[in-house]
Amino acid sequence: MMSERPVVVVGAGLAGLAAATELARAGLVVLVVDQAQAAGGAVHRQPLEGVAAVASAAQARRWSGVMAGVQAQGARITLRCGTRFGGVDHTGAVLLSGALNALIRPRALVLAVGAREAVQPRPGWTLPGVMTAGAIQTRIKTLAEAPPGRVLLAGSGPLLLAVGAEMCRLGRPPVALIEAARPLQPLAALGLPLAYLAEAAGYLARLLRARVPLYWGAHLTRIETGEAGLLAHFDTSKGPRRIGAEVIGLHDGIRPNDAGLTASAALPVLRLGDCREALGARAALADGSAGGAALAARLLGRAAPPAAPELDRQRAAQARLARIYAHDGAARLADLPDDTVICRCEMRTLADLRALGPAPTARALRLDGRFAMGACQGRFCAEWVGRIIAPTTAPQPIGATRWPTRPIAVADLLAASEDLEGETE
Amino acid sequence: MSGVIHWQGRALPYRAGESVASALLRAGVFSFGRAATGQTLALFCGIGQCQGCLIREGGRVTEACLLACRDGMVLTPAAGGDDV
Repeated sequence: MMSERPVVVVGAGLAGLAAATELARAGLVVLVVDQAQAAGGAVHRQPLEGVAAVASAAQARRWSGVMAGVQAQGARITLRCGTRFGGVDHTGAVLLSGALNALIRPRALVLAVGAREAVQPRPGWTLPGVMTAGAIQTRIKTLAEAPPGRVLLAGSGPLLLAVGAEMCRLGRPPVALIEAARPLQPLAALGLPLAYLAEAAGYLARLLRARVPLYWGAHLTRIETGEAGLLAHFDTSKGPRRIGAEVIGLHDGIRPNDAGLTASAALPVLRLGDCREALGARAALADGSAGGAALAARLLGRAAPPAAPELDRQRAAQARLARIYAHDGAARLADLPDDTVICRCEMRTLADLRALGPAPTARALRLDGRFAMGACQGRFCAEWVGRIIAPTTAPQPIGATRWPTRPIAVADLLAASEDLEGETE
Repeated sequence: MSGVIHWQGRALPYRAGESVASALLRAGVFSFGRAATGQTLALFCGIGQCQGCLIREGGRVTEACLLACRDGMVLTPAAGGDDV
């Protein structure tokens, strides 16, 4: 594939491409892979051919700047989309499947696989039509199209405002937006970077113009199948309410997408951007550039470059944002009905979790409870399992991280192995 | 619209580059069948993390949210038949 052993970068979003650019600028050969059909990542997900972009002018400028940086490196950067990262083993072999199906041994591995959404379990959250707010945003960015039917947005976090506002712009406002926090406190917002405030004000203006009912300090408590579509029940300060929808977009925050990301004794493995620390787009870009430059220096035996101060600024801004969006929604986990599904993969319930006793070990949670043992590797249940069994401490991972990052077809594994046998070390 | 995919005997249009999950959703197909564990398979995270939207194409089960539509593609529920 390449005569020189490449550095492999997983993820063609802001962090991954910024890192690739710095590595290539230092003279290294870089292979960037991404599971999506085009570069962009979650923030700069590109519209399909013939679809009008929904990105703002500022967003479009940032992305074209990043792509220009990549293109300036010419053949030193190869980008392969539609390609999934399966994992890295103790020998330093990296498994790729999809458009590029190979087992390769890079000089170093950069993981820039972004963030995932947290979604708190609620009765009915496994029903078809219930999805993450991010899944709705992905649709909007690639197709400039909202999901069919009435759409309800619920949970907590700035993403709900962004998705709601984008739907308004498409002429398809959500039927309501239910936010657990009360983020509209002018004093708390002081100290946020102006760019954050301008963005939020723009979203709110769109939602208000479209007369979308906005519920603050309200909690979506359960979802059931209604006579037509889904029926969502939620608590407000004025008592319980219900609302019908075909699609419900849930979102309870952003977390690093770090499931299945292991280290390897055989080569440097670096995490950059949101999968290391979820601080948003500006930080991901800065972290990618700084991390890529530092890795290049390490591989080439040069002096390490200085750290990026932008990261500290974004960390402070995100901490302030987290305080503004603080709410007691997690306390509701204790009052969930026994048959509430906690693990979506294997439909393990709160009753199954309670049956393991008051303080189950990670081993008991996995082997007896089968929590975090399903195909998603605990991405969507581990945090809540932790909060339920130990409400006052920060949730811990359930057991050690293992690759693969996702189920891999035996056919892909076999095809990739043949590749490696043909290589000379 | 640039072609059709086949789901349960229905021919559904799609846009070039669109995912299978996305095209099914537009056609009002919210459930993609049921997993062996009882979970109804459906679009959830949209970015290949939750494994909740698995679907079968030929001999292969994969995430409908990451699978790009191709003209004439035949899709069936993930359960039933052996995975390769």
